[in-house]
Amino acid sequence: METKLNEGKGSMALRKREPLRIRTELKAILYLIPFLVPFAVFYLWPVLRGAWMSLHVWSIQGMEKYVAFANYKKIITNSDFYQYMWHSFYFVLLCAPTVIILGLILALIINQKLWFRTLIRSVFFLPYVLSVSVISFIWLRLFDTKHGPVNAFLHLLGLPSDINWLTDHRFVWWAITIATDWWTVGFVMVLFLAGLQEIPTDQYEAAKIDGANAWKRFLHITLPGLSSVMKIQIFYQIINCLKLFGQVQIMTGGGPGDSTNTMIRYIYVTGFKKDMFGLASAQSIIFCLVMLLIAVIQFKFTDRKDG
Amino acid sequence: MNKTALNILAIVLAILFVFPLIWMLLVSLKPDGVNVYTLADWVNWSDLNLDNYVKVIRDSQILRWTWNSLVIGILTTVISILFSSLAAFAFSKLPFRTRGIFYVIIVSGLLIPTEAILIPLYETALHLKLIDNIWAIILPGLTNPLGILLLKQFMDGVPKDYIEAAQIDGSRNFRLWWSICLPLTRSAMVSVGIFFFIISWNNFLWPYLSITSEENMILSAGLPTFLSNNTMSLNLIMTASAIAAIPTIVVFILLQRHIVQGVSMSGVKG
Repeated sequence: METKLNEGKGSMALRKREPLRIRTELKAILYLIPFLVPFAVFYLWPVLRGAWMSLHVWSIQGMEKYVAFANYKKIITNSDFYQYMWHSFYFVLLCAPTVIILGLILALIINQKLWFRTLIRSVFFLPYVLSVSVISFIWLRLFDTKHGPVNAFLHLLGLPSDINWLTDHRFVWWAITIATDWWTVGFVMVLFLAGLQEIPTDQYEAAKIDGANAWKRFLHITLPGLSSVMKIQIFYQIINCLKLFGQVQIMTGGGPGDSTNTMIRYIYVTGFKKDMFGLASAQSIIFCLVMLLIAVIQFKFTDRKDG
Repeated sequence: MNKTALNILAIVLAILFVFPLIWMLLVSLKPDGVNVYTLADWVNWSDLNLDNYVKVIRDSQILRWTWNSLVIGILTTVISILFSSLAAFAFSKLPFRTRGIFYVIIVSGLLIPTEAILIPLYETALHLKLIDNIWAIILPGLTNPLGILLLKQFMDGVPKDYIEAAQIDGSRNFRLWWSICLPLTRSAMVSVGIFFFIISWNNFLWPYLSITSEENMILSAGLPTFLSNNTMSLNLIMTASAIAAIPTIVVFILLQRHIVQGVSMSGVKG
């Protein structure tokens, strides 16, 4: 109350208020400090530090010399970089659409009145809580050429010869996609289910009265109703797919040859196997820029009016 | 679509989904060297035993890794939630001028994933002498801004009257947080906490890099050591996977309502 009265009285009063305000600022910032300290040390600092390191020749022992943009030049003149970048995006093209479509189908099924509905929903969601090493181990063995149940099952269906799921470059990305879809589709399903429950049922009733068939109702009511969840999911999945590491590290080791090496594995190998921290930092910075670009596109596409 | 056909489709899909897990369990219970391949293998339960479990637990540190995963998961979750709640309280209830700037800085944490700062993060941990220490996993785990974003939304829902009434009674800010905002956002904290715990439990890449000795490993990062160990057969690898998976599955079955709710809340809003 008092501060409000003082406002009209000009500069004297304002100067009087100054120390008070700094105190409220500091008092409020005090509540941010516990979060900000680890955030600054383990997020902000590494981001800046990475940019700095990328300008140097750097090994695990520390800085060796300043080389300006030589690391970047090395990366963009090396065809490996484009190859691994393409692999990462190739996986996005395979995995993101399949996991979203499958998740949507599962959500539409679960949204009906089914027998054992809760149980089936849990079954679909269950793989998501397992860690990447567990799911990679399981699928590594399921896809085994000679003794794996996947090939055994395909033989039952009449497949004449074995498929080398993990060592044939034509199939290996599909193997990783299948494993990843199985692992994460339940998460997508749960989010679509939440979206479906927010679509008012009277819209469906009205459409039925107007004679719209099931497909039309899906197209004109369900899909538009899910559009915000859909947008979030598309970008979330793109980013998630670009971060691919665990599955290839365990299931294929980047092979056969180099065909499943991704951006992250490239950074990992450059930094930790070849001990070239500077070069790996430059690769990371390029990866960050890709991430930021995606974030900008996402921001353009999703107006966060309701968020 | 026909109701019965839909039901059957759902059940067939569900069976396909549990198939890999059932297979894992079955192989883990079979004697070393015996595969589950033909239909006959599937129905022959006479040779099931726990020998592989005894062997894996005896020859590896898998129980220790489970314990580490649990401790790290709980510490990360509890500390994260408390810190996020404090910050969310400031953003939601305390009027201060610089809040816009701080909010943008913190939300920027959502833009760049850990995968993109691995190298400098490793360098930082090296300088702080944290490599091969469980705090190397916990501390970077506290930087996820999602908790602040979500909890702030719930704090915004705490009625102004409550806060004003308490202020008139002379409560200080800390009391407002501790005895009003914290209890009123408890269910949101549980949801976000479950989400954080899953992230921590399944965290792979960073623990894989920052932990070097077997005794400090966590489950997700320790498992791949079985692969480099050539003496490990199919059955033993599946046993190790099962040991890693079973606690997660049990917890999931017990808390599934909360878990699904927590994940869907965090996912939709995040």
